[in-house]
Amino acid sequence: MMKKFGEVILLLLLLLLFFVPHAEGTRYSLPGKPALTRCRSPEKETFTCWWEPGSDGGLPTTYALYYRKENSEMVYECPDYHTAGKNSCFFNKNDTSIWVNYNITVVASNALGSTFSDPVDIDVVYIVKPNPPEKVAVTVMEDKGWPFLRVSWEPPHKADTRSGWITLIYELRVKLDGENEWEMHLAGQQKMFNIFSLRSGGRYLVQVRCKPDHGFWSEWSSASHIKVPDYFHRERSVWILITVFFAFIFLIVSWCIHINSHSLKHCILPPVPGPKIRGFDKQLLKNGKSEDIFSALVVSDFPPTSSSNYEDLLVEYLEVYIPEEQELILEESKDLHDGCLKPKGSTFDSDSGRGSCDSHTLLMDKCGEAKDDEQQTDRDGSQTGSEAQRQQAAWEQEALTYAHEDMISPDMSSGRVKTWPSVFSPLPQYSLSPLSQPSSLETAKQHCLSDSLFPPASLSSYLTQPGQSTKEALRSSYSDFCSSNKQPHLLHPQPDARHHLQAHSDVNISSIGHKEAPAGLQLPTVQSTEYVEVHTVNEDDMVLLHPVPSGHSHGKGCLQMHQGEDYSKVNGVDKNNVLLLQRDVIEEQVDMCPCENQDMNGATESCCTSAQKSIPCIHTTLPVQEEKAVNGYVDTATMFPLPIH
Amino acid sequence: MAQRRTNGSKLLMTVLCVVAACRAVPVTDLLDRASQRSDRLHSLSTMLTQELKMPEMAPLCLTISAAFSVQVVTNSPSRLQDSHFPPIGRVIMPRPAMCHTSSLQTPNDKEQALQVSESDLLSLARSLLRAWVDPLLVLSSSANTLPHPAQNSISNKIQELQEHSKSLGDGLNVLSGKMGPAAQTMSLLPYRGGNDLGQDKISKLINFQFLLSCLRRDSHKIDSFLKVLRCRAARMQPEMC
Repeated sequence: MMKKFGEVILLLLLLLLFFVPHAEGTRYSLPGKPALTRCRSPEKETFTCWWEPGSDGGLPTTYALYYRKENSEMVYECPDYHTAGKNSCFFNKNDTSIWVNYNITVVASNALGSTFSDPVDIDVVYIVKPNPPEKVAVTVMEDKGWPFLRVSWEPPHKADTRSGWITLIYELRVKLDGENEWEMHLAGQQKMFNIFSLRSGGRYLVQVRCKPDHGFWSEWSSASHIKVPDYFHRERSVWILITVFFAFIFLIVSWCIHINSHSLKHCILPPVPGPKIRGFDKQLLKNGKSEDIFSALVVSDFPPTSSSNYEDLLVEYLEVYIPEEQELILEESKDLHDGCLKPKGSTFDSDSGRGSCDSHTLLMDKCGEAKDDEQQTDRDGSQTGSEAQRQQAAWEQEALTYAHEDMISPDMSSGRVKTWPSVFSPLPQYSLSPLSQPSSLETAKQHCLSDSLFPPASLSSYLTQPGQSTKEALRSSYSDFCSSNKQPHLLHPQPDARHHLQAHSDVNISSIGHKEAPAGLQLPTVQSTEYVEVHTVNEDDMVLLHPVPSGHSHGKGCLQMHQGEDYSKVNGVDKNNVLLLQRDVIEEQVDMCPCENQDMNGATESCCTSAQKSIPCIHTTLPVQEEKAVNGYVDTATMFPLPIH
Repeated sequence: MAQRRTNGSKLLMTVLCVVAACRAVPVTDLLDRASQRSDRLHSLSTMLTQELKMPEMAPLCLTISAAFSVQVVTNSPSRLQDSHFPPIGRVIMPRPAMCHTSSLQTPNDKEQALQVSESDLLSLARSLLRAWVDPLLVLSSSANTLPHPAQNSISNKIQELQEHSKSLGDGLNVLSGKMGPAAQTMSLLPYRGGNDLGQDKISKLINFQFLLSCLRRDSHKIDSFLKVLRCRAARMQPEMC
């Protein structure tokens, strides 16, 4: 019974022992497999091996290192576990043999058992990794004024390089304090090294390491700091040299530019091409008929041979409708024109008003009024058609009034007519304007020949002959006047303006302008009444005139394909001081743009703001006839390409 | 007649001068050059062993049966786990003690090495070098048909090894003539491996690798001895060491 009881108790104890660990939740096992991580010999005389323990299996584990040399089967245990730290084995000189293979194994043991690591074979001569070099000294030395660093060191004290047992080669690295990049230098077997190319005033760090001839690099020695003294004065002279050099270069370059300034200017800013040759038809040139081209240039009547011709050609008066503002300017300059004007009393123009020589002053007034009206109408509406209507009405009004005033003040015209005669050049080639000009509200310009366009002195030459009131003749050619520079509006006479003129009955010009042309005169037909429009009046009292295309509405815009007739050419002046216009057919597109006459001297340019087609800009320069330019003629011929006669 | 004499004497003088100039080559210089050669020799053999230890060997290892006791000669220091031979496969590798030069008694540590006289050191170096002339021929011929991807590079290196070995041997012969009769003695270490490294591919590779490992060690020995000699001869020039 006691036996049984004892057995039961034993069984219980065993069960307890068995189950208690399970009850506690821990499991004990064999230790994990350790592994040798590295072995190292600093001087080829001793070496150390380190291992990495595995899991301990929950129980206290002990580690043991066993080794075996290649020649014998004797297994030895590690002689020293402590010198090199934890999990290490240190082999001192007595235990180290070189050129002998060691077979090393680490064993981990705990209460449950032991685990062997994988064996590792090593030969001491192949695992040499020395200590870093010692006593690294850095000094600053000078070489002809330029500083350099001299680095010197000593091999690690353990390594026996004196006997040649171990041969070390060194390497050092330098960097500026604060930078990231090191400069490496291989020093070979020497124990001293010079570093050049230092930054003045820089602070450097130097490190050295070594390696046996067949082994591993050591760690870097601790950094040595050194400060390089300033040698700034050297750098300054360098800067001076650089400055002088660049100044010299600059001088040379500027001198070269100066020498070649002319050609450079031509390169960078090419000169604006000169004006077109008057009478030179581009179209014909393109067609290639040289005879036609050059014949166009030939002016049959040039130079004027007889005074009578001259007289005929010279147009004394033109009806100008100028705005009110311009009147004042005109009045100012009237005295200048006195000498130029022929006494107006010589001829009465049957024209009731506008073109009347005698009633210049009145005419001007009326013009100004009409202008104002037109201006206002323009401002009101942008429709040129309606404006034309209004203008038409205004025109009629004025014409009527002028008719009366003509008689009243014939003498006053003398002071005012100045503008008109000068408008027409003696040359027949001058055309007031191509009458076939499209005109929008903005683009419609009126060619007003006004003395304001020309310098006063120039008028004298023109106002000599036609004493008649050729104004009438001119008048018919003009239907519109520019009211202002900013708002050139078109006073486009209606095709039936002729009637108005005729109604006034004193318009001989109308016959010129509208009816069948007398000899030499080409008058616009009734159907295609061409009017010269006052382009603008600039501040110098120059009225720019544009031919107005007949029958074309103003509102068509700047550009208009026109196949009308051009009556902008003055063929001559007949004995009645009637302006004879030449009838030309113009097929070009003329871009009439609202540009201002800029040049007092007659070179007028109308820049086209809405240039779309072939003739972007119309230059009304007077290149050839300088006298005309001086006198201020608006060379409408140059404004538009002239048709070839 | 007198002219002939002067000519003859001149010739003699020039010959003497040349001989004197030739003799003027210092031993330290010769040793320096010799140690440079041996350094190159050892570097080449190290590279060869590393080149051979390529992953291609791993599948070979797996096929080796575990019946034989095997040692994985991992000569790569420090990185002991960095073995190209997986631990599972054991390679039939002859032990380093089975090198044909193992019979030569060489110092095993520094103290022993420093106690050896210069002539003995030189004699050891020469003997070792001499022992490898024949095996290098075998290696060279085997390298041409070596079943290895880097076979071409290996073959070139072995070629270079042979050249260096020959020139070093010649140089050491000259040196030994300068250092006395004791230096002239040499030990014979015949190579008995035969002309063939193996019949099958695996054994061929293994034997090739084994030979190279032996060569690596021996070249290191030669290099060490010569450098010790160099340092000893250049007592006046400590920067040599």
